[in-house]
Amino acid sequence: MDYILMLLPSMLKGLTVTLKLFSLTLLLALPLGILMGMARLSHFKPLKWFMEFYVWLFRGTPLLLQLLFMYFGLMTIGIRLEREIAAYLAFVLNYSAYLAEIFRSGIQSISPGQYEAADVLGLNRVQTMRNIVLPQVFKRVLPPIGNEVINLVKDTALIYVLAISELSRVARTHVMRDGTFTPFIIAAVFYLIMTGTVQQVFKWLESRFDYYR
Amino acid sequence: MLQALDIHKKFGSLGVLKGVSLQVEKGEVIAIIGPSGSGKSTLLRCLNHLETIDKGTIAVQGEFMAQAGPDGIAFYSPEKDIAAIRHKMGMVFQNFNLFPHKSVLENLVMAPMLVKQTDRLQAENSARELLKKVGLSEKADNYPFELSGGQQQRVAIARALAMDPEIMCFDEPTSALDPELTGEVLQVMKDLAQEHMTMVVVTHEIGFAREVANRVLFMDEGLVVEEGSAEDVIVNPRQERTRAFLSKVLMAR
Repeated sequence: MDYILMLLPSMLKGLTVTLKLFSLTLLLALPLGILMGMARLSHFKPLKWFMEFYVWLFRGTPLLLQLLFMYFGLMTIGIRLEREIAAYLAFVLNYSAYLAEIFRSGIQSISPGQYEAADVLGLNRVQTMRNIVLPQVFKRVLPPIGNEVINLVKDTALIYVLAISELSRVARTHVMRDGTFTPFIIAAVFYLIMTGTVQQVFKWLESRFDYYR
Repeated sequence: MLQALDIHKKFGSLGVLKGVSLQVEKGEVIAIIGPSGSGKSTLLRCLNHLETIDKGTIAVQGEFMAQAGPDGIAFYSPEKDIAAIRHKMGMVFQNFNLFPHKSVLENLVMAPMLVKQTDRLQAENSARELLKKVGLSEKADNYPFELSGGQQQRVAIARALAMDPEIMCFDEPTSALDPELTGEVLQVMKDLAQEHMTMVVVTHEIGFAREVANRVLFMDEGLVVEEGSAEDVIVNPRQERTRAFLSKVLMAR
């Protein structure tokens, strides 16, 4: 018990690093994902093609590699980012790509009749998106987005490659120093609390949207 | 009120409308009947600008939505003019297309508030009036999924009326309904006709067409084959194709 109490300060510090990456990514990637999802369906071909390329690039390579590129890769061409900034950048760009795909499919799942009804009532495109399409999209994309958010909790562990001391890296340091497995168990408990919270939040969100079918 | 002249419309290489003309006077009820694939729904969708025409002219109250050039090719008016013309048209779809995430009342007030900047109180008052008219006052706070098909379609009619249109278009409004629910929708439409609402109705309800329509158009293969009073077209059709269609439809009853 004393050992656990002794571990806690450094592990909590690791946890805050993890939580910061998690929330910043979510905060930026969600709106970006919506915009990119719409851009992917744009009638303006170059924009559509660019988004297709973007999604292919960021979904098609390991996030681990993207982290290394953002830091070491950019360094070789003379751009030196802070390690944290490189991590945030890689995560936001990567998760935007996944979320863009979810929003794209969500938008496409809304029946053409909804657009036509809005159209004949005189709503313009922006009004139709904001009042008719997106509210219905949010309900439909909640389950897949819940999946992504839980993945995000666990993916934060990847930034150890940039020697950033997030939760799992702190735990590993202790394990190697003290020769006991306990820090890993504590880390696992922290991850489970985080993912459990995400799960509950999404359950609540889904119930909030349950008022219509 | 509404003029459509020599409308041509192709989907790819498939000619759907091959020179259709339609005149609608104020207060008139026009029924368009005909077999599936005859182009009747497409015609209605062209009048509403849900589809664009290739050739021909469409005008509402003397204002052109599209005007044919010397070779017949249709030139559309600027967006803004088209929008103004479309405000005069209400549309009711086969599948209702209510907004599922909005209550019945919200379905009705949304467009007036967003498009006409009507304030909420006024929009809600007229929405409740309209719901009373279609017999659904008690359903104002319900969501579409809680209503029967017939009730949903009545809400859809009320929603179109909320924009105060000059012409109401109906695209097979009872085709998606169970037979026992068509009556309530047709009754609402009859009431509208009695108030001299100008209506263009694409329908399979021959009985309704006969009873309510001032004029009936029979369409087949992208052309108006026969046109006249309900009595002429439905009871004493001159064209063989009209007769064949009617005997099939009426036999099925």
